[in-house]
This record gives sequence, C-alpha cells and structure tokens, in this order.
Amino acid sequence: MIDFIQTTLDGLSIGSAYALIALGFTLVFGVMRRINLSYGPSIMLGAFAGTWAFVTLEAQPWLVAVVTIAGTVAVGMYVERLCFWAIRKDAAIASMVSSFVIWMQLEEVATILLPGRTYPYPELFKFGGIDIGPYFLRMEHVTTLAVAMFMLVVLRLLLYRTRFGLALRAVSESSEAAVYMGISPVRITFWAFVFASFIGGVAGYLLLAADQQVTPYFGLWATFKGLIAMMLGGLGSIPGAIVGGLLLGVIEAHTQWYLGNAVKDLTAYLVLFLVLVLRPGGLLGQGIVERHAQAFRRI
Amino acid sequence: MLEVRDLVTVYGAIEALKGVTLSAKQGEITCILGPNGAGKTTLMYSIAGILKPRSGSVSVNGREITGSSAPYALACGIALVPENRLVFPSMSVEENLRAGAFRRLRGDRSAVLEDIDKAYVRFPSLKRRRDQAAGTLSGGEQQMLAVARAMMSRPNILMMDEPSLGLAPLVVSEVFSIISQLNKEGVSILLVEQNAHKALQIASHVYLLDQGRVAFSGTPGDIGEDDIIQRAYLGSKAA
Repeated sequence: MIDFIQTTLDGLSIGSAYALIALGFTLVFGVMRRINLSYGPSIMLGAFAGTWAFVTLEAQPWLVAVVTIAGTVAVGMYVERLCFWAIRKDAAIASMVSSFVIWMQLEEVATILLPGRTYPYPELFKFGGIDIGPYFLRMEHVTTLAVAMFMLVVLRLLLYRTRFGLALRAVSESSEAAVYMGISPVRITFWAFVFASFIGGVAGYLLLAADQQVTPYFGLWATFKGLIAMMLGGLGSIPGAIVGGLLLGVIEAHTQWYLGNAVKDLTAYLVLFLVLVLRPGGLLGQGIVERHAQAFRRI
Repeated sequence: MLEVRDLVTVYGAIEALKGVTLSAKQGEITCILGPNGAGKTTLMYSIAGILKPRSGSVSVNGREITGSSAPYALACGIALVPENRLVFPSMSVEENLRAGAFRRLRGDRSAVLEDIDKAYVRFPSLKRRRDQAAGTLSGGEQQMLAVARAMMSRPNILMMDEPSLGLAPLVVSEVFSIISQLNKEGVSILLVEQNAHKALQIASHVYLLDQGRVAFSGTPGDIGEDDIIQRAYLGSKAA
C-alpha cells in the first residue's frame, strides 16, 4: 500500500509537468484548431539558451530560468509568425506540416549552439525533499505541482474574467463572428501563442531543473507527452489538459513500478487508444465536440 | 447616412460587384433583394470592412471608410448580423452579448451592463436563458441573440444578412416584427433577404441586385411584388 501511494505521488509529480505542457498545446489548439508540433522543440531551444548561459557565462540559476522562459517565448513568436500567422486558417494541415519542418530547424539550431549530447542544467533547490509519514516528496516535484495548479487558476481567471479572455474564447468559437465584433483574431492568436510559450518555458525549466540535465531529444519528448496528455484529457479543454497530464503521469509511474520500464510508454499509448475509441473527444472534451455539432443543427 | 458609390469587389478573376451605387437613409429600412450569387453578401462584407473593394467608395455620415478594417467600420457605427447567425455556441447568452460590446468594454463597462439589461427587456427569452450556452438555443432565439449582440456596439446602421434563413414561418414573422420595432426606435437598417414578400412589407426603399449590378431602385410601391419576384428570382431577362 505504501508503495502504491508513493508511486501515485511520483506519478502526480511528473504528471503535473505533463499537464503544464498539455496546457500550452490546449491554449493554441483551442484558439486556432491547429496543432503546433514544434511546441516541444521550442521549449527545448529555450532550455538550450538557458543551459548555454549556464555553461559558458556561468549564469546564476535564477538567470537560467529567465533565459529559458524568455528564449521559449521568443522561439514561440518565431514559430507563430512563420507557421501560423503566415498560413491562412483554411490551410490547417499546411501549418501543422510547416510546424514539423520548423521542429527540424530548431533541433539544428540547438546542436549548432551546443554540439554535445547532454548538458548540465542547474537545480532548483539545494535541499532534497520533505517526508510526510512514510512518504517522500522531492521539493522540485512539489513546486511543479504547485505551479501547475497556479497556472490553471491564472488561465481560468484570464479566460473567464478578462476582456482578453472573452476575445480569445470568441475567436476560438468562431473567428469569423469575432471579426464582426471588432476583435482581431490575428492579434489574439499571437498573444495566445506568447502565453502558451510562457507556460511551456516554465514547464521546461521545472522539468529540467528536476533532471539537472538537458538533451536535444527533450523537444521530441515534450511534444509527445504534451500531445498524449491533451488527447487523453480532451482536445481544447483546459481542465482536460490538467486531468490528462496527471493521469498520464500516474499511469506511467504505476506501469513502470509494477511492469517495468519497457512497458511504460506502451501502456500510455494503449490507454490513449482506449480513451479515443470510447470517447473520441477525450475524457473532458466530448461536451465541446457535441455542443458545436448541435449548434449548427438548430432550426 | 450610408453612401456606396461605384463599388467594385473582386474574388480573384471574378467580379462579384461591378460598380454598385446605393444609399441607406437615416431611420429607414433599406432592403436589398436578388437571386443567389447577385453579390448581396459581398456588398455587405465590402461595407463592413471584411472584404477590400477594388474601387469605388463607402461613406457613413460623410466619413469615408472605403477599404478600412472591420474594427474601424464598427467604430463608425456599422454592425453586421451575419448569415447563419454565428453565435458563439459554447459561450453563454450573456457572454455573447459582452463579446458584442468588445470594443466598448475597455471604457464604459457600466454602460455595457445597462445595454445588456436593455437587450433583456427587448428579448425576454434571452433573459431567461442568460447563463445557457448559446448553442443550445433554438434557431429563432439564436437569431434574436445575433441581433442583440450586434446592437451591443450601439450601431447607427444595422446590416442583416438573411435573418429569416432556416427559420420556421412563425419565427420568421417574429424576426421581421423585431426588425421593424428596432427601426421605429431609430436604428437604420440595411436588410438582405430572400423572403421578398416579407421584406417588401417593411422596407422603405428597395434595391434589386442582379449579377453585381443594381437592376432596380425604388420604393416597394414603385414595383409590384410579382415583378420583383420575377426579376429577382427568375432573372432580369425574363421581365
């Protein structure tokens, strides 16, 4: 029983990082109905900028955090201008394909910046963790979980309590009608991208500070985990991104503990497959899919 | 108040508007009739800043707005109720209304709230459903919401694109009575309709659009309904 709970806690810890990445995917997908495959690699390049500052300039850990987040936001803006702003809404596939191409480009840039395979990344805390009864929690993981919950609250307030959030939801529901309200979808999309990149930068920093190292494969890894978490929870659903991320983390932790490392990813895919067969919109996304279909059937 | 002169709008090589001149006067209901593909919706989009005309001019109250952006046209008092209503389906009725007042939300928030209350007085069924997702409303209610939402920008002129499309006959009558009610309260209206019979009953001035040109301009009394229907739906050559 202690093992089970400890494994669940470990799963929630890694899952909260997945949740943050899924949140970024969801924000972009929710507004544009387009998937940004180079989201993970954008975070990776931001993190490489951070570790570059750490290795060559011996920057302080806080400065590495700032460089990582700012770098991710800058790369995010670049991706938005090139793959999304430049390509019209009715060519959704073209922007997904071009975001894949940018992915390759970003990995190239990263390996030119730092040609090695693995680089150190400064840790967040010098002290290890906290004990609660028989259980052990690493400080990094507690922080990641807290930040994920905080971001969820901030995002909900932003979306449901502000003028920008109203415009963002309007664009995501019907960008055509939003234009008639005097809302500029181009501007809203840009800021959604900036915000998504910011969340990604924070997630990347927290993950890498816990691992204390970074490789160019982090981009691939982040895109995969974020996409799976988003699809599990529900396409375009913000609570779904959190639920999907945490669930993915817990599933992985348990299969790793009970069945071994080799089965870990396989199980995640299997669960995703089952969810998509039974509830194609994801766990929390089904309502959105149905409401949209219904609205256009009304007489 | 709204003056359109020699407006030409093209889609690639196709000239959808071939020099349209018309005007909508303050306090009137101006109606544009015409067969499918006559350029009615294109005309509205060109006025509202959604499409950029190739040549010609659009002005409101003497202010030139040709080729301006959609937000600018809206700021000049031109609001559009689009075809198929296009309410925001997952957002509540009240949020739809707030989105309609998007440009005003930065400044006079309390005036926006007052206008929402006014909209509820005009459309009591929207008040009952204020927290309901707009996608769950009936077609007629969605049309009311689309009108109320467009009114939230306090327009001088309300352009409506086929407000009766896809609605039951009883609901169509209701929509038309709302249009004349709004007009009596001082809102100028530019109406595009397929339902010539209903439109002629409330219009002050009628334009007949055919293949991107104005084929007729006059009051409903100047032209018989049969004649309009003949020319609008069977083509002008038959007349």
